Amino acid sequence: MRVLIAEDDPLVGDAVKRALISASFAADLVTNAEAAKAAVFADSFDLMIVDIGLPRESGLELVRGLRVRGKLVPVLMLTARDGLEDRVAALDLGADDYMTKPFQVAELIARCRALIRRANAVASTQFSIGQLKLDVARKEATVGETVLELTNREWSILECLAMNLGHIVSKDKLMSSIASFTEDLTPNAVEVYVSRLRAKLGDAAVIRAVRGMGYRIDETAA
Amino acid sequence: MRPPPDQVPGIRKRLLGLLILPALVILIAGTVLDYVTSINPVDEAYDQQLVDGALAIAGHVRADPAGGATLELPNDAVSILRADSYDTVYFHVASLDGRFIAGDAGLPESRDAGSNPSRGTGEYRGAPIRMVTYRTNIAGAGPVAVTMAETLHKRALTRTRTLTRELATDLVQLLAVGVILWFGVRLALEPLGQVREQIARRSARALEPLPLESVPVEIRSIVEALNRLFATVRESSVAQRGFLESAAHQLRTPLAGIQAQLELMAADEPDVVRRERVLLILEGARRLTHTTQQLLTLARSDEATNLRWGFAEVDLAQTAEGVVADRLAAADLVGVDLGAQLKSARFSGVEWLLTEALGNLVNNAIAHTPAGGTVTVISGMAGGAPYLEVLDTGVGIPVEEREQVLERFYRASNARGMGTGLGLAIVMEVAQLHGAKVTIDAGPESLGTVVRMQFKAPGRPPAAVAELATGEMS
Repeated sequence: MRVLIAEDDPLVGDAVKRALISASFAADLVTNAEAAKAAVFADSFDLMIVDIGLPRESGLELVRGLRVRGKLVPVLMLTARDGLEDRVAALDLGADDYMTKPFQVAELIARCRALIRRANAVASTQFSIGQLKLDVARKEATVGETVLELTNREWSILECLAMNLGHIVSKDKLMSSIASFTEDLTPNAVEVYVSRLRAKLGDAAVIRAVRGMGYRIDETAA
Repeated sequence: MRPPPDQVPGIRKRLLGLLILPALVILIAGTVLDYVTSINPVDEAYDQQLVDGALAIAGHVRADPAGGATLELPNDAVSILRADSYDTVYFHVASLDGRFIAGDAGLPESRDAGSNPSRGTGEYRGAPIRMVTYRTNIAGAGPVAVTMAETLHKRALTRTRTLTRELATDLVQLLAVGVILWFGVRLALEPLGQVREQIARRSARALEPLPLESVPVEIRSIVEALNRLFATVRESSVAQRGFLESAAHQLRTPLAGIQAQLELMAADEPDVVRRERVLLILEGARRLTHTTQQLLTLARSDEATNLRWGFAEVDLAQTAEGVVADRLAAADLVGVDLGAQLKSARFSGVEWLLTEALGNLVNNAIAHTPAGGTVTVISGMAGGAPYLEVLDTGVGIPVEEREQVLERFYRASNARGMGTGLGLAIVMEVAQLHGAKVTIDAGPESLGTVVRMQFKAPGRPPAAVAELATGEMS
């Protein structure tokens, strides 16, 4: 996995590069938009991390330029400004995610992984959450070499959670994902299937209940 | 700010006073003048009748053989001369030396020698009279004085009638003028009232210029001066915004670098003692970051209030969902069960500020709730108005401190952790910007704390609402 970092602040740039390397990414650091463009067109990257406040040509302009020229590499924007305008502008211009400085290194790495995974998932029908691998086309979940034996409803719930990785999925939404299989489902049917799923997943991934809101699937904490 | 209304008389009062008083004086003077000018000709006409009578009688005075004079007038003619529906008419003919010739004996004569016939007033038989005396020379009899007189009833009656008519007319005129002035002044001052209304309806912190189209020339310069002031404040607000953007950038970028570097150093450091130190520095850097973030948010929400930007439709349920998802890890870390009961609550607001405010409430709740406790974020509509609540089973805030904790830098006596004392101040700022009311109470069964942000029902102009909410908070 190769990541290009465009960040003009040496302290931040160095930290991001080190963080990525320690998380076993290959990382290149450039400090301006021109160098970033040169790098993107010379090599292939799985992800770009772009600071909005680059000198001369801003990160927003850089991303817009790349999108106009057909570069679809996923982009994570970094900014020191809060407020919605920047976020909206960044996402409108074709950035895929957005983080406000200061950030936690662990979260940065998690977002990078998620972006790369999402980009790959669009291309193929397979994606993974930690040790858990899902093949959407074959409706198959595997942990390591073992294929999990899941019922249709369990698979539907797992798929629904996995598609919204990192986000809370409401009980209603999970209900409707399995509603086609049976006419009359009681609300705690979801709870029953989730607890069965948890048992089958073991330590491969965590399904966390959020009181009053729903469920969220996460990678098992390291 | 406003002077008590009774100290300086209003423009309307002044105008009415200045117009109605002179109008009253002019009308009264007019009445008097009318009365005088209409009475004189009447008196004149009545006098003329007396003159005519006197002349007619004089025409019938003849010299008598004795060398005196005598009146040769048949009784019928005398009756005609005396005929009058209101007054008693008298006449008297005498020689100049006072010898009685004919008529009513003892009737006084007008002694005015300046004119002939001469006029005068007198009294006869106990009643005031008007009289005319005509002196003439009768051939063969010498000079005689013919006096014609009448009582004053008819004249008095005419005066009364004239006066009454004049007064009635003038009263009607006065009323008409009064009504016209009153309505006129009212109408003329209408634009002033409109400007006053416009200013009254604005929020105390609104800075957009007042429209000049309907402003009368006389106060245009005042409104223009106000607008210039608004513009200046607005410009400085915009400058402030620019400064804050740049300050945010200048502060956050190095903080981000320091924090990330320290995190990496801590992870890489094999020496336990050194790692402890790095972690201590990291904790300090995080606190610094947190305080910076809080101060920037406060400053920016101030300025958002001034400029009123960033308002869009928000759903508190979605905002709350984001905040809860974001804080789950922090809650897990201290063993607090963070959950929610979210119902959609839409209105116009500034999403990122609401997120900051709710984030602060949830942070506080988690920090002050012991392991095993719960923190619940609630959103919904109460009576058509959106609300947001954060309910915890934590240590609670002492009743007497519940007002104070909303102030900047105040920390409750039982506050835990390394707070800046700015969290609830941010909540207050954001609440004021949205016209919301913040209340702090104990939770159910007097356990923990429930902080509620009660927003106004959507549809009302936020400016008016903001003014209500800015009230007596600090």
